[in-house]
Amino acid sequence: MTIVVLEHITKEYRLGEHMVRALDDVTLSIESGVFLAIAGPSGSGKSTLLNIIGCIDTASSGRISVAGHDVSGQTPDQLASLRARTIGFVFQTFNLLPVLTAAENVEYPLLQMQELDKEDRKERVQEMLELVQLGKFAKHRPNQLSGGQRQRVAIARALVTRPELVLADEPTANLDHKTGEGILALMRDINRKLKTTFIFSTHDKKVIDSADRLVGIEDGTIRLLGVRKEGQWAITNLSRKGPAQPAKKSQSEEESNA
Amino acid sequence: MRLDLSLAARSVLRQRRRSLFGLFAVAFGVAALMIAAGFFEFNYDSMREGVIRSRLGHIQAVKRGYLESGASDPFKYIIPETSEDRLLLQSAPYVTVVAPRLSFNGLISKGESTIAFLGEGVDPVPEAKASSFVPIVEGRNLAGPDVSEVILGRGLAENLGAKVGDKVVLLATSARGAVNAVEVTVSGMFISSSKAYDDFALRLPLGTAQALLRTEGVHSWLMVLEHTDRTEYVLKKTEPKIKSSEIDLVPWYEAPMADFYNKTVELFSSQVGILRVLVAIIIVLSISNTLMNNVRERTGEIGTCMALGDTRRTVLRRFIVEGAVVGFFGGIAGIVLGLVLGGVVSYYGIPMPPPPGMTIGYTARIFITPRIVFDAMLLAVVTAFLAGIFPAWKASRMVITDAIRHGR
Repeated sequence: MTIVVLEHITKEYRLGEHMVRALDDVTLSIESGVFLAIAGPSGSGKSTLLNIIGCIDTASSGRISVAGHDVSGQTPDQLASLRARTIGFVFQTFNLLPVLTAAENVEYPLLQMQELDKEDRKERVQEMLELVQLGKFAKHRPNQLSGGQRQRVAIARALVTRPELVLADEPTANLDHKTGEGILALMRDINRKLKTTFIFSTHDKKVIDSADRLVGIEDGTIRLLGVRKEGQWAITNLSRKGPAQPAKKSQSEEESNA
Repeated sequence: MRLDLSLAARSVLRQRRRSLFGLFAVAFGVAALMIAAGFFEFNYDSMREGVIRSRLGHIQAVKRGYLESGASDPFKYIIPETSEDRLLLQSAPYVTVVAPRLSFNGLISKGESTIAFLGEGVDPVPEAKASSFVPIVEGRNLAGPDVSEVILGRGLAENLGAKVGDKVVLLATSARGAVNAVEVTVSGMFISSSKAYDDFALRLPLGTAQALLRTEGVHSWLMVLEHTDRTEYVLKKTEPKIKSSEIDLVPWYEAPMADFYNKTVELFSSQVGILRVLVAIIIVLSISNTLMNNVRERTGEIGTCMALGDTRRTVLRRFIVEGAVVGFFGGIAGIVLGLVLGGVVSYYGIPMPPPPGMTIGYTARIFITPRIVFDAMLLAVVTAFLAGIFPAWKASRMVITDAIRHGR
């Protein structure tokens, strides 16, 4: 079963006088339940790709479907509702609301779900805080927590709506190595336990090694796809032969099942 | 909604200094508005009471048409000095006194000089209560209902060159059309809130005036109440009970003489209106500034919340509520500040020069009514709400990806 389908996605934006092509005819489909890393140098378009999958950015052209919903041409409110119910976000800089406690931060996405009453919310929040091993820190404000603890709160917040998909943009970039490994292990654990699909961007080799699927991106096009079986990566290289050829002229045939 | 308020309160508390600045601007504006409105209110109040407690009374009982055309044919509008109806008015609730008056004009002479006057025959005992705003500035008040005495407006006395103790002659046309005269002693001089009145007015005992005009009756019964607010109530209670079909009850605000007061209130009210606009501008500028800074500073958070599924409408609402919270607490602080300042100013008083048409200055105070407090609060909350719309709209229109990246 696929959870994300991208067909011929192009994203252009204006930077001063120039039109910049962040994504160039990207076609990709992602299976449900994977732990997928999008890797590439900065400026390669991996964040843009993640934003488009997360429905917080729109493509200039192409068709996108997330969790069975065709999101091309939906209104901002429809997209907001889709994000609220099916997608969880984890950010590089944690992005917790500083005026709310850990528990309130986790509760925040649930407030839009009319069907949940106060008791339900409280129960879910506690469950999620236990899951990220922060049960004792429910009443702490973000500035009273360490970086790793903050990111754990953010993961709890991303999972509390029971989304099908969690997107994490460089989730370990602002953490020291050991803490980052802990966060990855936690996400991997949740991925196995709850079957939640995780897609995260990174440029860290060690982070890539914890994934089971890999999408390598460079200059807005997909260059390699990897699947790990029994600890070994099977890599498909999609790069054009001849490095002189500019990326944006490449006719993409990069379709594959990642 | 509770979450909105709680979030707004926390956000306001988070930027203490900035919020305090916004809060102070609102509080200052509200207090200034209250002081100004309270000052005008005091002036209206003094002016109104001045007219009522010197000349109009709260309600006048007169023969129908007297106030409009009594001057040209005063004898046509005579009513009895006392009757069942007067007793009825006297026994009505909240009535302090009912004082009869007989008005006429004529000439006053002292030695070589003769000038015109506006005379009122009054019953000195009830009149003393009815005319509490007509102080005797020299000599003493009239001694009784039939004595041969007169009290003169200070302007009239000066024009005539009369002093307390002088004998003067009053000439007037009697009910039968003949000219009649009486010699009286000046017992005192009075002033009222109107210089124009003092320059022509004199008062003499009712019995003496009736003898001069050869009439038994009076022109009006002046009802003076415990409090001006009761006027309409008393009017409603007594009007249907009046037996004589010829007698009209005229409240002070409908009397032609109240025109000056009504016009002044209108004029000053429009000045308070301008002040209100200025205060509204202060509030709008300070709150929109506070909110714009908050929106800019929290761009990342706004992006995060929208990524988590908050709709534009939710973001809009949050910031509008935040502005309204600042407006509300600023308004409360302003009311407290205004009441305290008003109290202090009233304690010391503001020495005022004589207003146009008056001879003496007075001490102004600040008179803050519940209505003024309510208006000031309403202004604070409504303008704060309006001031929040633009920053909130800006926040709600942010591009999510740009907002999240902001400040990184």
